[in-house]
Formats: sequence, C-alpha cells, structure tokens
Amino acid sequence: MNLPSPVSAEPSLHRVLEVKAIGRHAYRLRVNRGKLPFKAGQCFTVGLPGGGVNREYTSYSGEADSWLEFLILEAENGIVSAALKSCRPGDFVEIHGAYGGFVLKSPEDHRRRLFIGTGTGIAPFHSFVRTHPDLDYNILHGVRFADEQYDREDYQSGRYVSCVSREPGGDFHGRVTDYLRLHPPVERTECYLCGNRDMISDVYDLLRDKGVASDDIFTEVFF
Amino acid sequence: MKVAISYPPIVNNLGQKAMVSQNRNVQYFKEPTYLLPVVHAQAATWLRDLGHDVLWDDGNAQLKTFDRWLSDLTAWNPDVIVLESTTPVMKFYWRTVDRLKEVLPRAIVVMTGYHSMRAPEETLNNSKTDVVLRSNHVDFVLSKLVPSIAAKKDWRLDLKVDGLSFRGADGRIHSTGDFRRVERLENSPLIDRDLIRWKNYAYENGNYLQTPGTYATSVIRDCMFGKCTFCRYNGPELTFSMMPVERSLNEYETLVRKFKAREIFDDSGVWYRGADARRFAQGIIDRGLHKEDCYYGINTRFEYLDDETLKLMGKANFRFILLGLEAADDETLERLNKGYLAENAMRNLEQMTKHGLHPHLTVMVGYYWQTAEQLQKTVDMVKGAMIKGLARTLQVTICTPLDFTPYHNECLQKGVLLAQDYDDHDMSKIIVKTPISHDRYYDAVREMYSIAFSPRFILRQLRFLLSFRKRDWQFLFTYGWRAVRRVRQHMFNLTRNRGSNGCDAVKETAPTTESV
Repeated sequence: MNLPSPVSAEPSLHRVLEVKAIGRHAYRLRVNRGKLPFKAGQCFTVGLPGGGVNREYTSYSGEADSWLEFLILEAENGIVSAALKSCRPGDFVEIHGAYGGFVLKSPEDHRRRLFIGTGTGIAPFHSFVRTHPDLDYNILHGVRFADEQYDREDYQSGRYVSCVSREPGGDFHGRVTDYLRLHPPVERTECYLCGNRDMISDVYDLLRDKGVASDDIFTEVFF
Repeated sequence: MKVAISYPPIVNNLGQKAMVSQNRNVQYFKEPTYLLPVVHAQAATWLRDLGHDVLWDDGNAQLKTFDRWLSDLTAWNPDVIVLESTTPVMKFYWRTVDRLKEVLPRAIVVMTGYHSMRAPEETLNNSKTDVVLRSNHVDFVLSKLVPSIAAKKDWRLDLKVDGLSFRGADGRIHSTGDFRRVERLENSPLIDRDLIRWKNYAYENGNYLQTPGTYATSVIRDCMFGKCTFCRYNGPELTFSMMPVERSLNEYETLVRKFKAREIFDDSGVWYRGADARRFAQGIIDRGLHKEDCYYGINTRFEYLDDETLKLMGKANFRFILLGLEAADDETLERLNKGYLAENAMRNLEQMTKHGLHPHLTVMVGYYWQTAEQLQKTVDMVKGAMIKGLARTLQVTICTPLDFTPYHNECLQKGVLLAQDYDDHDMSKIIVKTPISHDRYYDAVREMYSIAFSPRFILRQLRFLLSFRKRDWQFLFTYGWRAVRRVRQHMFNLTRNRGSNGCDAVKETAPTTESV
C-alpha cells in the first residue's frame, strides 16, 4: 500500500522581522518565512505562542519572497491584532497554513483582471501582483481615508485606483461602487473581490448588472 | 405554487433511521435525533412569505414510514419538490426521485445539498431530477427559482437564476453559471417556527440538557473558517456570510419569551468570535435572557474565543460548546488544516470549563494516514480531558470521505478509498486503506466511549455537583441516562464491523437503504 510520507508537524514558530505602522489603524507584520509554501492569496492562522487565540490573515507578500508578510487592521477591541502589533523583532508568532482557495485562476492566462478590495482586503491582490508581475490587472481600492492607500507605489503606474469615501484625496472621491457605475469593467474581465460583506454584496450585484458572468466573479469575505 | 420541502424517512435493514449527525453527515441510528435543517427551514419560510403554498415535509421528524410519506406527498400533489442530498443517501434519493416522477409526473424535483452541488451532472444523469442547486444558499436561490418557474410555463427555455444545473427543454443539461457566494443573511427570513412544526425537533436531541430546545437561525453560513479538509463547509467554491448580531438577539428573545425555549443551539459551522461574540453575549445579558432558564449553545473552533469572551458567555448562560477536536496529534491536525496544536486545544478547554461552559468534543478516527501512535495520542488526550473534567461530553465517529470535500478528493486521488458504493459512506465503518488494522480504530472508539462508565469519570461528575449549579445536577440525572443510551448506540454502530478490514468484507453487514 502506498501511503504518503509524513508531513512536518513542527510547532510553527516564526521570528518577527518587522512590525511597521501603515495608515492610521493598519500595520505590516513581517516574519521569517521558514519553509512555508503558499499560493498568493492564501491565508494563515496567526497568533502569539500560548496565547490561546488566533486569527486568519491573508498573505501580503509574494510567493518568491523569503519572508512572510501580513497587512493587518488593528480591530477595535481586537485581541489578536493588538497583541501582534505589540510584537518586537525577535519575538515569535505561531503560524499555521496556508489555507484557502482565493487564488488566481490560471495565472499564466493573460486575461484582464480587476481586483476590488476594501481596506486591508487589498492584501491578496498585493500578493498576486508581487508574485505575478506580468499580470494585466487593475486594482480598485476602497478606503475611508486617504492615508489608507496602503503601499500604492507597489503597483504599476496607472493600475491602482483608490476610492476614498470620507474625505477628499486619492484618485476618486466615493465608494468603489460609485466608481464602478461610472467605469464598468470591460468585457471578459475576471473580477476578484475581497473585503467586507456589504461591499462584496453591492459590487457583486453591480457587476452582474453590468454583464459580468457569475463564473468570472471570485469573492473572499474579510471580517 | 405548491412547494414541498421534503425529507423522506430512510430506514436501513437493521431498522435504523438515517439521521443528520456529526459534521452534518448522515448516520443510521435506532434512537432518534431530529435536527432541524435550518437553511431549508428559512427557504420554506421565505417561499411562504412570497405567497407560495409550502409543505414542510420532514418524514423523519413527523414519524412517518416511507410509504406513508409518499402517499401523503402524492395526495398533496406539489408543483415543486425540494430534496437535500448527501453522499451516503444519494442512491436512495435517485431512486426516490424516479419513484416520485412515476406518481407525480408533473412535479418539478429540485435537488439541493453538498453532494449534488459539487457533482450536479451525476444527479441529473442518474435520476429524473429536474434542477440541481449548486449553491449552499438554498433559501436565496429557491426564492428566485420558484417564482421563475411560476412565471413561465416554458421556464426551461430561459432560466436566468445563477448557480443551477437543470434539464432543459431539449432534454440536455444546462448550466446558469456560478452561484453567488456572499449573501446578506438578514434578507432571508428568520425561521417560522409554526410552519416547520418546531416541537417535532424540540425533544429528541441528545445534546439538549433541558427541553424544549431549538436551533436558532444560523448566524454564520456556513463556517467562518471553512478550511478543515474533511468538512463539507470547506471548498474553494465557498466563503462565508454573517448575520448581524442584533437580528439574532431578536430571534433569541422571541424563542425564549414567546416559544418558551429552554435551550437554543446555533448550528453555524463556527459561531461568532471576537467583538461580535462579546456583543452577542452582552446582548443576552442586557435583555435579561440569561435569567430565563434557557441555555445557549454553539459550535466553535479552538483558538477562536478568548478568555474575556468565554467569561461573558458563561455569565450569559451559555453551556454547550461543541468543538471539533478531531485528533490529538499535530501531524493530523496539520493535515486536516485545523490551524492549531493539540496543546493549545487543552488550554482552551481549561478556559472554557473555568467559566462554567460544557465543552463537547467531537473526535474522529480512521484517517488514511493514522498510525497506532497517533491513534493512541488521541485516545489518551480524550480520556485525560474527560477524566479531568475539561470536556463534559464526547462524540467519536469514523472519518468518512464525503461530498467531494478536499479530504474526499484526496482519498480518490491517492487511491486509498476502498468503497465504490455511496451506500458505504454512512460512517458506520472505515472505508479507506489505513496503516493499521481497522479493528484498532474500532477498539479506540470503544475505549473512548467507555470513559462514560469509568469510576474516575463518574467521580468527576459527582464532584461537579458540589458546585451546586443546576446544570450539573441536570447533567448527571437528566442527561446521564440519555448519554448512556447514546453511548451504547454509538458503540453498537461503530464496533459492529470488527473483524472486517476492507470494504468488501464489511459490505455483508453494511446497511442498505430501504428499497423504494
């Protein structure tokens, strides 16, 4: 009988390399990747060793990066996000994964892609773009405030559009749905949505109304 | 339209009925457990609200025989019949659909459920089913599908509801594309308890400490984590949807004050966590529902609820906390994508019991890689947790690949699946190749269940009485007898295949579904 060889079950402790604030409530957590394999857009459970509680965070770094990075929103009254923010370089975090199927379908296929994310829901798209620099993509990023345009310089010129809803600034003043009503995706665009459920529901309806096939819409809810 | 949401009674040749069990899979039991199919109950309510004539037709919970169920349904003469599929009863359903088409040729049969949604063409090819829902949001899709059918006699020519496979006017199978993953759960109605005859489900449920109990409309569909490889709530095609806290609290208030429910369980794959969980528990307290002699229960994951949240839940009169431990070795936990280590699970159990909650562990054995050492670790940890009082109750099942989950697909790809027949996927026996004899796993099941009869375990339960909490007295006297009956039944089911190692040998004693 051919049974699989055992997989490693070492406690998944990873050394913190950097914690860097970005915008008013978010930060990047960069840790030593070790040998963790993942596909861009997959998530991991992350917590403090022995903390008794963990949360899922999506990869922000690329598949070829030697480190693993997460873009984390410090949640109001959040326990894990606050604890991880207080980490210092050299501390350890416990990571398990990678999990999930919110990954690019056929990345080698040169289809046009539209990535729509709100807040830290941009994380998987950052991971996509870092992993596949030749993608033909546009990214639509919905944020409340102008300083939440996380790492916009990481995207190729003209591909990133921020929709800032609560103050002037960014590329468009309003929500991503307002932008999409004025600028619907071109035909046969593959659309990836990541963010809170209200945004996903509204954008899904709008895309379907604009003629995007349901087979071309992929969604991942963030908390 | 006249719409029947139907659950035919399914009885095997041992006289056991098919019941929804762990991981929402079907198992055959003699002692009844009637679990409310929550999403289908919401669908029934929604269709009724839309003006359709809806029959809630749960033959099991309504204590019907198959023949009685069929004759009653035939007499009612529905336009649409909705069924729910899962792997071990697929063949039964295909035969039943064809039988229904003989007696009700004009009725449109709609198949829902996690098996057929992942292999819709199989069901359309193997039966006269008209439509297969490829969505887990059965209520949302039916609320669009039924009006579409009602509006057009030739609906097969121009069906525009997303997420369906159906038999077209040309007799060929057509698809309406992918389904919508994220729905606003608040748009689906809360369950109409009278419509679904809630009292049919209020007493025969082994997890209720006091009755009448009921299931809440689930706050999460299906699972917030959704990554465990064996679970039907996992798959690249799924994400989750969540109901606002206030809406759920409103339902709890109605269930407690109007319906006098004394135990409410939310069967979401994983319930709220973090700030939402705390807001819910605080809401129960603020509304005074923690003083209404009603216990609250949930499913959760290890490492999802922190100490502060657990403390608040204890204060809010939460009791039953169902946790999928699955195994106690870290390699298995990693393979299953559980996302934590075994030692962390023990720490969580300590936190829960400290705050007066009753953890219920669900455990599985018989993974295709599970060694004797790994199995023993699970047995030892479970015994330790039970004897130390860190878990109050226990359910052990055989890990059975089902519904084209990642684990099921993995077994198919690796060639370790012994069973070719869907009837064999009923969790009554191990149907995968394993590194040790199947008997070793059955023995482990017996050993874990035998903890209930251990003097040390009984002593621990008696020591709980010193806390003078009502729930501990109930646990021993009310729940105790029920638990013993259940343990006997589980042990019968899970150990009657001793001596066989491989599916062919097992088949001789395997249950077959009642001929229809």
